Amino acid sequence: MKKIMNVLLAAVVAAGLSACNDFLDVNDNPNSPVSENLRLSAKLPAALVSSVNQESGQLNQIGALWGGYWGTTSEGINLFPDLKNYNGPAIRHQRDGIPVWENAYTTLLYYQLIRQQAEQEGSKFYLGIAKVMQGLHFMRLVDVYNNLPFDDALQGTVHPTPKYEDGKTVYVKSIQLISDGIADIKSAAPGTEPGTDDVMFRGNKTLWIKFANTVKLRGLIRQSQTDNQAFINTEIQKIKSEGTGFLGTGESALVQPGYLNTAGKLNPFWENYYRNVQGVSTGNHVDIRPTVFLVDQYKARKDPRLNTLYVEVAGDFKGVLFGNPNAEAGYNRSVTSAFKGPQENGNRPSALFKSSTQASVLLGSFESLFLQAEAIQRGWLEGSAKSAYEAGIQESFKYMEVNAAEFAAYNAQSAVAFNNTIDRIIEQKWLALNSISSIEAWNDYRRLGIPAIPNSLDAPSPTARPLRFMYPESERQTNNTEATKQGSDDMITDKVWWDN
Amino acid sequence: MKKNLFTFIILLLISVRVMAQDIHGRVIEQQTKEILPGASIMIKETRQGTSTNEQGKFRIQAAAGQTLIISFIGYKTQEITVPNGNQEVLVALSEDFNSLQEVVVTGALGIKRAAREFGGGAQVINNENLNQGKTINPLTGLTSKVSGLRINMYDSKVDPQLQVVMRGSRSLNRSKNAPIYVVDGIPVPDISRLNPNDIESVTVLKGANAAALYGSEGVNGALMITTKGGSKDRGAIRFSNTTTFSDVFLLPPAQTQFGQGVNGVYNPTQYESWGPAFDGTMKDFGGKLPDGTIPQALYSAPGRDNRLDLFNTGVNVQNDLSFSGGDDNTTYFFSLQDVSIKGIVPGDESRRTGGRFNGSRKFGKLKTSYNVNYVYFNKNTTPDGPWITAYQLPANFDYNAMKNWQDPASVANPNNFFTDLQKNPYHQIDNIRDRTTEQVLNGKFDLEYAFTPWLNVLYRAGIYSSATETRSTTGKFEAAGRRNVNGSVSDGNNNFRRLNSDLILNFNKKIGNFSTRLLLGQNLRADNRKATAVSAGNLTLPGLFNPGSRIGELGGSSTLTQYRSVAGYGEFTGGYKNYAFLTVSGRNEWVSVLSKANRSYFYPGVSASFVFNEAIPALRDNSAVSFGKLFASWNKTGNVTLDPYSLNNPYSQIDGFPFGNIVGFTPGSRYPNPDIQPEFVTSFETGVQIALFNHRLNFEGSYIFSDSKGQIFNATTSRATGYSSAVVNAGRLTNDIIELGISGDIIRHRDLKWNAGFNFTYINNQVKELYEGLTSFNIFRQSYANIGQAYPSLQVSDYKRDPQGRVIINQATGEPLIATDPVHLGTMVPPYQMGLNTSVKFKGFNLGAQFDWRMGGWLYSEIVPRMYTAGTDPRTAEFGRQPFIFPNSVIQKADGTFEENTSVLSKGDKAFWTKQGEVQINTAAKSDYFKLRELNLSYSLPSAWLSGQKVFKEASIGFIATNLFIIRHKDNKYGDPEYLYNTTDGYISFRQVPPFRTYGFNINVGL
Repeated sequence: MKKIMNVLLAAVVAAGLSACNDFLDVNDNPNSPVSENLRLSAKLPAALVSSVNQESGQLNQIGALWGGYWGTTSEGINLFPDLKNYNGPAIRHQRDGIPVWENAYTTLLYYQLIRQQAEQEGSKFYLGIAKVMQGLHFMRLVDVYNNLPFDDALQGTVHPTPKYEDGKTVYVKSIQLISDGIADIKSAAPGTEPGTDDVMFRGNKTLWIKFANTVKLRGLIRQSQTDNQAFINTEIQKIKSEGTGFLGTGESALVQPGYLNTAGKLNPFWENYYRNVQGVSTGNHVDIRPTVFLVDQYKARKDPRLNTLYVEVAGDFKGVLFGNPNAEAGYNRSVTSAFKGPQENGNRPSALFKSSTQASVLLGSFESLFLQAEAIQRGWLEGSAKSAYEAGIQESFKYMEVNAAEFAAYNAQSAVAFNNTIDRIIEQKWLALNSISSIEAWNDYRRLGIPAIPNSLDAPSPTARPLRFMYPESERQTNNTEATKQGSDDMITDKVWWDN
Repeated sequence: MKKNLFTFIILLLISVRVMAQDIHGRVIEQQTKEILPGASIMIKETRQGTSTNEQGKFRIQAAAGQTLIISFIGYKTQEITVPNGNQEVLVALSEDFNSLQEVVVTGALGIKRAAREFGGGAQVINNENLNQGKTINPLTGLTSKVSGLRINMYDSKVDPQLQVVMRGSRSLNRSKNAPIYVVDGIPVPDISRLNPNDIESVTVLKGANAAALYGSEGVNGALMITTKGGSKDRGAIRFSNTTTFSDVFLLPPAQTQFGQGVNGVYNPTQYESWGPAFDGTMKDFGGKLPDGTIPQALYSAPGRDNRLDLFNTGVNVQNDLSFSGGDDNTTYFFSLQDVSIKGIVPGDESRRTGGRFNGSRKFGKLKTSYNVNYVYFNKNTTPDGPWITAYQLPANFDYNAMKNWQDPASVANPNNFFTDLQKNPYHQIDNIRDRTTEQVLNGKFDLEYAFTPWLNVLYRAGIYSSATETRSTTGKFEAAGRRNVNGSVSDGNNNFRRLNSDLILNFNKKIGNFSTRLLLGQNLRADNRKATAVSAGNLTLPGLFNPGSRIGELGGSSTLTQYRSVAGYGEFTGGYKNYAFLTVSGRNEWVSVLSKANRSYFYPGVSASFVFNEAIPALRDNSAVSFGKLFASWNKTGNVTLDPYSLNNPYSQIDGFPFGNIVGFTPGSRYPNPDIQPEFVTSFETGVQIALFNHRLNFEGSYIFSDSKGQIFNATTSRATGYSSAVVNAGRLTNDIIELGISGDIIRHRDLKWNAGFNFTYINNQVKELYEGLTSFNIFRQSYANIGQAYPSLQVSDYKRDPQGRVIINQATGEPLIATDPVHLGTMVPPYQMGLNTSVKFKGFNLGAQFDWRMGGWLYSEIVPRMYTAGTDPRTAEFGRQPFIFPNSVIQKADGTFEENTSVLSKGDKAFWTKQGEVQINTAAKSDYFKLRELNLSYSLPSAWLSGQKVFKEASIGFIATNLFIIRHKDNKYGDPEYLYNTTDGYISFRQVPPFRTYGFNINVGL
């Protein structure tokens, strides 16, 4: 019997083993490609779209509310409550909060994986793009959260609790990363450029380098109020000796993946703030209004952009008060100026809404020109601050569908004409970036206090201003030791490093 | 011998024909000597029968030498030979206590074994006990009846979902702690569609050792379900109807002082309750109607909770019909069931219709049997919207006025609804529908051949197949701005089939005092799933839900999943004198979801049992000890909780991609690990079972230790890693568990029986190690795995406090300061779980009750923070919406010391309370509770009443109820602590409609 048993046992085991290999080889994913199946050209477009979605969506909205551009109607009084009353814990909330951190690191990962693949394949152009974009996002994260992981970041469980580095260091490293990226792009062999998959510059080397230099310049300008002049000078020198320069007239960084007028494929800014796929006004369009302060600033300059931006109500442009805790009838929907779009503009493109398939703005030529104007004014760059300033206004007019002929009269006004002050540059930069790159308005306000944006009427105290985001709850849950080392992250008392 | 037998048969035949005589007799109770009316008497040879009358007497025509079978419910059946001569037969039946000694345990692979040789924890729940509350889902009927088994419901709609955890959490992967379900020997993924009336018994094998032969999934124990078969006796036809009603209860309380508005000022178009105090006046409500009038509403909260108007009384109707019968070679069981549920949310309904056919036939040495079960299920529900809206609406909101939304002139019409920031709940109910149709076909066959008396071979193959069709629709409603609703449709198909095959050789040999059994087997499993969906997000017509009638592109997806495993296993049991047993088992498994290098793994187990009352001579004759057993087991079980295709990071297209020819792929947010290996759980168990005084008092106690290492789970990671989670082989969890069960017959009288039972479970769960030296891991929102603490633990944000625990107030703003670090409150799984059951039988009356008691855990509500924001939570009205001194608060002086706050006022407005809602400690509470889970009062018509007619053989009527009362911890105002969100522990979500209680009646008749 023992013999029989042994034979049977052996038979059972043998049957199992021999059957195994073929029978069990069913673990190749039939549903999704894995990294190895995909070329860089299949990955880059998604990364660039992810970048611009955060910049022109989430960040633009925060900046528009905190940078003095937007308020809400009386009916929409309960919208954006956390941004109106500077509710740090609600904003950092894992579920109902505003996940700037989470989204940015996810986008950074896309570039990290592109970097790795590009490195292996020797695709220098893609490598450079990924580095430049990472530099942009890391600096942006510092603007919102100050200290954060850089060297340890984006490596999965290699560093499960990535160490934080101080915001200043991250800025230094990001600018270096962009410089490396520029070198990579420059060294890319002809014929290895991306094509239509580069949904920003279609593989144009010069534009990528100009863009990269502009992002670096933005990072340096941000440090104007710090005692970091030596570093700034060195980096400015690098940009100069590199020599390609910055984005200029007609050279906006626009992302156009080929938006379609179909659900889920519209330009997200259009779909969020103007019309849905059915052509119906979105909730945001119904309830978002310019602030009284913003309308007054345009009015004070007889600004022709006012008319392409907003609709008139009873022959006038009328704004609202940001954070107004009272639902006053004077700020109802029906008596305040909504965004103007083609439907209110005789089917012609308007300042912000041109078509449901319009390109998304990552960095406008006007912003680049105002950055250059400020750098020249500060003596960092050579050239004429005045002409950069005026070109900036003209580029803004162009983007906002204002007739170029109106510039001369506009520029002749004493409230507009360049007076060799930083203030004047920032004023016009603020008017130009309205609802496009609004996050820069909040950054400039923190940096320089220009323009004199009124505080939210729902602020915890009249002088309390939002200075940063608290570290997200997800970070408190997963990396609390590191987050705690950074000290207090209170939203209205703790500044980011460059804010002095 | 042959000749003798022949002669005997001839004689028997002659005697039957020639010597039939009038037999009369009496049936009495052995101990009390009382008469037993209604006992059944049957002649074994001829199958003729009768029953005893009121005096316990019977009369039947039988021949001497024939066998009479005397049976009575609750008593041991007796056989007697008809004596010669015309004498009275006296039969004394002894009561059949469902004693431990005789319990037959359905062991792994459906092989029945005497409980005495079993070296692990097992508990059998019979049909009657399972169906005490007439549950629709068999799992609900197990709740609190089995020590170590915790069952939570997480949805109270028309198809409630359940979470089942045995003996605590062994895996940090929170969805992988459920036991394996085995129906008639076949592992199936789900048993919620099974008809509980078809179930003969559920054997709960608690330890990994008992289920080791089932492989990895058995690591969490097994629920072994045996469905009914026909019996050899006369055929039986049974019909029953159960009708119950469900009412919601335990809604989170709402304030009734303040109505709609902003900053204390009334506003007719705002829904949040931040307006002035209710004053009993009529006020404008919303904007102008099409006829130019402005609707009015009484600005006063009614005496009752208006939110209850949103809910219906649910109606649940079950009809059951079964036929059973059989003879010496064949058995037959056929049942039909129809369950229809009208839900507590208007418009929600479901229906389950199913049939089962179980049969068997013997052909000499070959035994064949098969089971086929088909279930058709459909449901039609609305998603979470209506309730999410309702708890944010003001207290005076009149739900009854909102049903007529189709009328363009009504206030209920979406164009006229008072606010455009919320939808009319009734419009949501009617307009957004999810429909599901599911067909489950589950069947198996057994072929068992006895080659020799000591060897038989069993081949068993089973399929489980489910086909699910879903359709989600949103009706188009064209309106301006926020009032517009896009029409959409999504059609889905999800087909799953599992093939399971076992070949088992079973050797049995007795050598002197030794008994041996060897089992060798081979198992093969293949799971296939295909899920497809097509959708359109912008339909052109309001009433036509077809993706073909759309604007824009068609959406869709298709997912194929395959899982396969192969295993070889063996088990050897040796017994000595039928009182000492030793079992050794082992299994090697090969699974498809791991890399080639890691996919084979082996795991062993050993167990022993010792029936000491038979082994020790001094106890053998001791009448006080009826049964006594000691047992112990050790085993190490491998487990792979990984889903297919988890070794790589899959890329997908999001953010609108592809845009024409431009593709854009992005990686998943889970960091993959191609080198994942099986995890191993080592467990040790020892226990004792004792029955005293003729099984009148039964005690069972066990201690279990389990240690899970190298777990496969999705660790939540810092987003700065680039990923939201990572698949890791890490972490170690231990469980120290004590299980006690005591039951006894308090009164054992013929007319009155009172039985009570109590089960107790204590689980000390501890996280010992985590990944990469970490001390804390986030699992799900506020739940954590922290080293040295139970898993999962509730950790929440809290105020900054002084050393005395008082809240520190910011002197400038009056706002309480928030602590940077979260505070740990405690385990989210109640470590103490108790069940109490009692049954009283008096004549035909039968009262059964099941109590459930859980202590020591914590829960967190995510509904209440939103109610703070909406101004509906009672706390927001506590200080009259005026500036107030925050209770028990302090201010910090310049020297760092604290003094009681007597002057700094907190605002008490919306912004203030919204922020307090974000402080999570405000909505956490202890989850202790004690509830009457089930109550069943039934009355069986006396057999004497039925003896006058031939239609009904038995009949009973009953009243049944669930959740009749509950006592909760005083801080828990949020909900039912066992009613938890989607496979979480201690997490109450706004996505769940409130829980319900049911009550109703049931009738049973037997033909």
